[in-house]
Amino acid sequence: MDKAEILKKLNDIFINTLDNADIVLKMETTAADIEEWDSLRHIMLVVEIEKTMKTKFTSKEITKFKNVGDIVNSIEAKK
Amino acid sequence: MTILEDIISRVEELNPIHAKKIRKNISGQNQEFLNKAENFLKDYMQFLTKHGKDLDYAIDCYLKLIDDMLYETIRFMTSKEYSNSSFQDVNTRIYDNPEVMEYHMQGLLLSQFLWIQHYKILEFFLENAPKHQDKTGNYLEVGAGHGIFLNSAIDLFSKVDSFTALDISKSSIEIAKNFVDSSKVRFVHSDILKFEEQDTFDFITMGEVLEHVENPIGLLEKLKSLLNDNGITFITTPTNAPAIDHIYLFRNAEEIREVIRKSGFQIISEIQVPSEDMTAEEAHEKGISVMYGAFLKK
Repeated sequence: MDKAEILKKLNDIFINTLDNADIVLKMETTAADIEEWDSLRHIMLVVEIEKTMKTKFTSKEITKFKNVGDIVNSIEAKK
Repeated sequence: MTILEDIISRVEELNPIHAKKIRKNISGQNQEFLNKAENFLKDYMQFLTKHGKDLDYAIDCYLKLIDDMLYETIRFMTSKEYSNSSFQDVNTRIYDNPEVMEYHMQGLLLSQFLWIQHYKILEFFLENAPKHQDKTGNYLEVGAGHGIFLNSAIDLFSKVDSFTALDISKSSIEIAKNFVDSSKVRFVHSDILKFEEQDTFDFITMGEVLEHVENPIGLLEKLKSLLNDNGITFITTPTNAPAIDHIYLFRNAEEIREVIRKSGFQIISEIQVPSEDMTAEEAHEKGISVMYGAFLKK
């Protein structure tokens, strides 16, 4: 799975978890760009991403997620 | 710029997702909250300076605590269990580890006014503790932490001539000593379960300790043995609050009440403060943390 495919999957997860159909993710998207992306929903997002992508992030990876690109790169590195 | 605003701005640069939550927490608070926060933070700044540290150091500690909690919460959401089940493990990894204890305790200090549940519980204590001041001659606090309840008790209980603060962590006692008038307090470094005293106490406060033990009923029974027959105990503990040093999982307030009843205490008054903007029932249903506080009698 390449970065573009991972990004598309993440986009679907963000839309469903944050209940906002208008979300269009880019690698550089941060929580500042999406109002609904708060600390509680961040936890829900990570849980949902792990479940959907059948992966498990380490503590170090999770705490370094500063934008969508960081999540995409982490997933890609595990595949 | 206030110290509180300065802290939030710096957190915003380093962890914007968490800063959103802090801003939400602070936004509904009145001037009294802001004044109390500022006074507390001024004392904290003096404490940092005295120890050759600065605000950046404090925020780094706080964000390490937030990172730990984030990871523990993500695992909890999947497993529905806390990652620790043994006190011995936590004692070795956390309480006996000065490096972890240092950032963990410093982080908790800042959380006092950044997490609304901590402030609301303090308010509940300040509103209700004075009802018991006439019959309070001596006071024990178990797990004194940053000493904020101890300081409030020193202000509220004018008849008390003996304050005792007990903590299992030496680091925690050293921190508490900086926040309270040490001349009025006897500090004891001990495990509460091994603490023996000839006299009983009129008032015992134990904030956020029950979740750190394997057997909370045994701990409350120990408190009961240290309390005089007409004495009052104030306890707090969270539900669904994964953390690196939490062991006993309360899934809702009723599970806490059951432990209280089984240990032989009666509830005089209680409060529940959800950590998110929702009702306590909704939070329990979703597995989101609620802080529980109660005044108890024998």
